[in-house]
Amino acid sequence: MKRFLKEHGLWVLFAAAVIAVALACLSVFSNTSSPLANFAGVVTSPFRSAYTAAATWFNDKQDYFQDVKALEKENADLKKQIADMEDQVRQAKSDSAENTRLRELLNFREKHRNLELEPAAVTERSSSNWTSSLTLNCGTNSDLSVNDCVITESGYLVGVVSEVGLNWCTVLTVLDTDTSLGAQVFRTGDIGVAQGDFNLMGDGKLKLGYLPADCKLLNGDLIVTSGEGGYYPSGLVIGAVDEVKMDDSGSTQYAVLSPKAEIANLSEVFVVKSFDVVN
Amino acid sequence: MIARNELIIKWVLFGAAAALLCLLQGIAQSFVIWGVIPFLFPAVVAVVGMFEGPVPGALFGLVMGVVCDLTVPGLIPCFHTLIFPLAGLAAALIAQSWIPAGFPCALVATIFSFLMTDAFHGLVLAMSGHAAWSAAALVALRETAVTLPFVIPVYLLLRAVHRKTHMYD
Repeated sequence: MKRFLKEHGLWVLFAAAVIAVALACLSVFSNTSSPLANFAGVVTSPFRSAYTAAATWFNDKQDYFQDVKALEKENADLKKQIADMEDQVRQAKSDSAENTRLRELLNFREKHRNLELEPAAVTERSSSNWTSSLTLNCGTNSDLSVNDCVITESGYLVGVVSEVGLNWCTVLTVLDTDTSLGAQVFRTGDIGVAQGDFNLMGDGKLKLGYLPADCKLLNGDLIVTSGEGGYYPSGLVIGAVDEVKMDDSGSTQYAVLSPKAEIANLSEVFVVKSFDVVN
Repeated sequence: MIARNELIIKWVLFGAAAALLCLLQGIAQSFVIWGVIPFLFPAVVAVVGMFEGPVPGALFGLVMGVVCDLTVPGLIPCFHTLIFPLAGLAAALIAQSWIPAGFPCALVATIFSFLMTDAFHGLVLAMSGHAAWSAAALVALRETAVTLPFVIPVYLLLRAVHRKTHMYD
């Protein structure tokens, strides 16, 4: 071995350098993660699933012993909420019928929303205290790609796919500092940018900035994706306004949002592989 | 001078111990304590650096950094690869010139390792336009406090490997 290395050591080094450059070029020009990261992700996938299954079983056992009185109260509150929402649904149906008639009168295209969804299970929540991310059990084998949106079953935005492997993908949630989305205030139509902020990430909140100077926000205002630029579908619910603040310069305001998706408790999500939205 | 075969066996054993501690990390990160999850990797790098010296400690930190960057999302692509070799080196220097290698040194080296890693986190956040020094300091403090109890199993396992491979020293 020693003699082999003495005689051919330079060639071994040269071959290693060529392989390293090839791997680097592959990762730069590829839409998926680098080969090494992909391999590491595939190898660790079964372990992630095992840890999450064990933690879920443990948490289920804890929740089983929850106070009965609290459950009864929650049940009563939910029944009242259902009754209010049924009333709203009836009103919405009437408004929708009127909208259809008016669209026909004005010869507009029919409003539609087609999202191609891929269900995925969460195999790992944040493995770092400095980022907010999820790992899912789907990847290129399910035609996922970077920048695909991830939503809950209720249509609440969870985050955006940042890295894709063969059978795994990493999702940066809406709380992460690297997340930045075109957003719209549902009530007023004002456009802004929803972005993660490390000061708010620990509290499970994010920031809505770059608002127009005359924007009048109220606590509870719903914030949705604007769909500007065509990167993400419009109308996905990001969160609700918690409070409105002035920035350090005192000249512009921003809002603190609470995401609608319960990121800490997610076990199943849907990845939007493609979309066709007409508003 | 340690023989080549023994050197290989030593680092295979350290690698196996590190893999076992990665499994422990996987279990520990399922539980959120005080708003953060335990993060064992800086402790592993610090304890190995303390036992093995500056150059081996730095090289082990480099390898652990690469493994972390492949499996843990970071603020920048090579975050852990850049900082863990320095953490391993610093731990070795603490053991050589300040506190002799042992459990107290492991604790101090781990705290220093977290200080370096989390200061680098804060710096990267600031350079990317997301400066949040007070929030970063709070997360760093919590992360260190929550991980310190895990230094016990980390230290015991790596000490066992060190004693097994340095029996005749």
